[in-house]
Amino acid sequence: MNRRNFLKTLGAVGALSAVAPQLLRSSEAKSQKVAASPKRLIVVLAQGGWDTTYALDPKVQSADVDVPVGTTQRFGGVDIFADASRPNVSAFFAKYAALTAVVRGINVGSVSHLEAMKRMATGTREERNADVASIVAHDLGNAMPLPYLVLGETAFTGPYAASAGRVGATNQLITLLDPTEAYKTAVPAVAPTSGEAALLARYAAAGAARVQATRGAAGYNRRRVQDFADSLERGERLKAVREGLGRRGKSLALVDQVDVALDALSQDVAFCTMLSTRAEWDTHDTNIDQSESHETTFAGLTRLLDGLNARKGIKPGTKMIDDTVVLCFAEFGRTPKLNSNQGKDHWPVTAAMLMGGGVAGGRMFGATNASVQPEKIDYATGAASASGKSLASANFAAGVLNLCGVNSADHLPNTEAFDAFVA
Amino acid sequence: MTIRPLRKDSWWRHLGVVGTVALGSLGATGCSESAVAPDAPSATPSTKVLLSPVQHLTRASMALRGVRPSVEDLTLVTAQPEQLPAVIDRYLASPEFGATIRDLHNESLLLRIELEKFAFPSLEKLADATATQTVGAYEEPLRLIEDIVMTDQPYSKIVTADYTMANAIVATIWGLPHTGPAEQWQRATWPDGRPAAGILSSSIMFQRWRSTGFNFNRGRANMISRALLCHDFLTSDVLVDTSVDLSDPDKVSHAVVDNASCAGCHQTLDPLGSYLFAFRGQVAPGTITKYPVKFYAANNESDWNAATGRVPLFFGAPAMGLGGLGQAIATDPRFARCAAVHFASFMTEVDADQLSAAWVARLQQQFVADGYNAKKLAKAVVLSDEFRVASDTDAGRAEDTVGLLKVRPEQLGRMLHGITGFDWVTNLTTKMRQTVIGTTDLLQSDFAGYRVLAGGIDSYFVTSPVHTMNATSSLVMRNAAASAASFVVEHDAAAPVAQRTLFMASDVGATDEASVRKQIVQLHARIFSELIAADSPEATETWTLFRDALAISSDAKQAWKITLTGMLSDMRALFY
Repeated sequence: MNRRNFLKTLGAVGALSAVAPQLLRSSEAKSQKVAASPKRLIVVLAQGGWDTTYALDPKVQSADVDVPVGTTQRFGGVDIFADASRPNVSAFFAKYAALTAVVRGINVGSVSHLEAMKRMATGTREERNADVASIVAHDLGNAMPLPYLVLGETAFTGPYAASAGRVGATNQLITLLDPTEAYKTAVPAVAPTSGEAALLARYAAAGAARVQATRGAAGYNRRRVQDFADSLERGERLKAVREGLGRRGKSLALVDQVDVALDALSQDVAFCTMLSTRAEWDTHDTNIDQSESHETTFAGLTRLLDGLNARKGIKPGTKMIDDTVVLCFAEFGRTPKLNSNQGKDHWPVTAAMLMGGGVAGGRMFGATNASVQPEKIDYATGAASASGKSLASANFAAGVLNLCGVNSADHLPNTEAFDAFVA
Repeated sequence: MTIRPLRKDSWWRHLGVVGTVALGSLGATGCSESAVAPDAPSATPSTKVLLSPVQHLTRASMALRGVRPSVEDLTLVTAQPEQLPAVIDRYLASPEFGATIRDLHNESLLLRIELEKFAFPSLEKLADATATQTVGAYEEPLRLIEDIVMTDQPYSKIVTADYTMANAIVATIWGLPHTGPAEQWQRATWPDGRPAAGILSSSIMFQRWRSTGFNFNRGRANMISRALLCHDFLTSDVLVDTSVDLSDPDKVSHAVVDNASCAGCHQTLDPLGSYLFAFRGQVAPGTITKYPVKFYAANNESDWNAATGRVPLFFGAPAMGLGGLGQAIATDPRFARCAAVHFASFMTEVDADQLSAAWVARLQQQFVADGYNAKKLAKAVVLSDEFRVASDTDAGRAEDTVGLLKVRPEQLGRMLHGITGFDWVTNLTTKMRQTVIGTTDLLQSDFAGYRVLAGGIDSYFVTSPVHTMNATSSLVMRNAAASAASFVVEHDAAAPVAQRTLFMASDVGATDEASVRKQIVQLHARIFSELIAADSPEATETWTLFRDALAISSDAKQAWKITLTGMLSDMRALFY
């Protein structure tokens, strides 16, 4: 078994899960700052690559960097580049800076969208490995109907594909759950009564048992049989919570995704979700479009944190935000200087935000220099340090796992977690 | 269970470490080729269990066509297993194999894309076209490959052919000749005299694989290298030197030559991109006001001179123009090997880097010896023991033994059609880029349909299929089964025996046990590809489902719909 298959099978087989962590932990592994209580994870993807100088990583206009209109302003303990033309950005940090950790200078090591995205999302270079939300969902919320609800477009589910589900580009999942929303076909599909559904479940179980008896005794085949059985149950349970998944129609805007995500998590449909800002970030031609994309994104984030604040948490007397982590990132940043089209191209350094439960909010971690090059940092504090280490996407992803209560060493062995943002 | 030591190369590829260790260990020229797993020494006897002849026939039929074998073929191979190769030859000549060829190549070329920013507007001659029809334009290179394979031309012609394929939509968009029915795909020659390079001459290929800003066709070059040679520059463990100001074209152009961490790949990648400057970087569909769209300009082919300054070269070797590039790819040993990898991986659902190196080498060798005949390559794949594996009695090896293959969404559509005559289509007034979607196949659509939800790819955000079940794929399969079941029961209930699709052994209205069991035997053959006796436990299970469903509804049609829903969404139908 090679490394990738090891990752793939890890957690997919109960017995192996119990053994693997000890095998995978390296003697070189550093002390992990794993959160004591499990956290749900909502990921908001700014897919396309954001210009970190627009908000998260303030810079001064210079020969090396072109910055937008605005000034550096301090919100709580966080410096943000803000301007009256971007009110949603300012409003978000005015309200939630204390709950927000900004992580800068993450070295992605790629300027290719897919390559960078998989590195940031999975902490690896292999798209067949699971992203952090998929791992958290599988490890901590696998009993739910749809542990990992993918509302956006991009997610890496790897060996945990059986625990994930997509709603589709136009939320067409609803057409499968709600007969009143179903697409019209030449002949209406038979709609089984509850009694008939029970017969179908029994028949499916018997069929799966036959496959297991002939080919599914062990290993890969056995997992496929188990996935099949689990998927039937999960599909049925999804029907029961259909209301939490919104309506069929056009692609869900970020604010709509936020509502669906909040409902799905609070109703225990899902443990983790992936959202897309659905904003235009890939601004090779007109970088000023970053302004509107930031506004869209921060409006959505405010709505999301408002919702998390307003809803009850898992434990009595807590709020949902106490047991939920929000992660917002782009796969890479944009070049410091404008190109000849007034756009900015891909830059292998990015920034991210972490918000919510267990986050050391109101703080900044990591750093870049005046020309948006990543600085070495002290992993204990996150502050720039000449004697420190680089902050790579893998280190960051490992830290997110720890923040959510998943020991990163179980999934990203030999990767030192940068988890200074764990409170 | 024994855990074998991890291979160092695998560690590097999957750890994702981008620190100094990666650079120091692998060097700056670590552009990597997607590997297949080296075969383990054969010191231990094989513990693999192979499929029976009938199971083998079924897997071959599904892998090659996405269609279950007929009862006649099941009976034939049961009695005479040696007939299997002849049956496979028949499958290879079927149009469903052509569809499989398109599916297979889409997983590497990633062309089937349903995003608004890629959709051509419905205007002028295309004013009445639906979005489903216009996004179908991205099928053109896949249709060319299908034509080459199905007409037994050497597979290498996919990069050397002097024609492409067009229906009326494609012809209108690019100004290609087309006669006859609008939906008919036919051979067409580019009217602008562009070099003969098969899919490399295709405009839609490079409209899908856009080149933006100062990328100078590098992304396109890597796509060509990855898809046709299995050499992916992007998987290399090379650090991007962040001290290079990527915003400054001059500094970048120097870095890709002088900076070791850049030049390692760019000295090969950039000259490959230099072949493609005659194609426009992209055409924003929103800016299109008339057809045809001009996408290729021969007088721009030397623009590399002002861009990267890199003379066109194929991995360091000269090749004259786009046509020369196609020829160079066609004769590169990696091209034949890559084809073998793609065919074997697709048909076994084993990741490319997990395929047996020895098997791939055998397939490659035979493929070349057979004059690059892709049908023979496909046949060699499905007749191999590597394809025929069912399980492994060794628990450790069983972890990696893919013995249950899940139907892809496209296969599911063909399978259901083959069994029931049902196509899961709907007519949608929903719009994509101001254009009505129209009649769409729900298992071949992502924007409104279920291809991704069922585990397929959308060729943009989701680029690898999922070969297992989850909540959404389960819902898709069950709904598809319920729809197909209703369709075929209603159809067969009204049709005379000669025109029925499934109910040959008894009438839909017959409910006596003997008649129903007789029908169930036929259904097991058609849906599960198993020949059973009417009093077998398998038949009894299905009879019990029918009997109990009938008890609930007292309606034979309803009972059959429930029974068929169960069978068509059963694991025995969805895996092979």
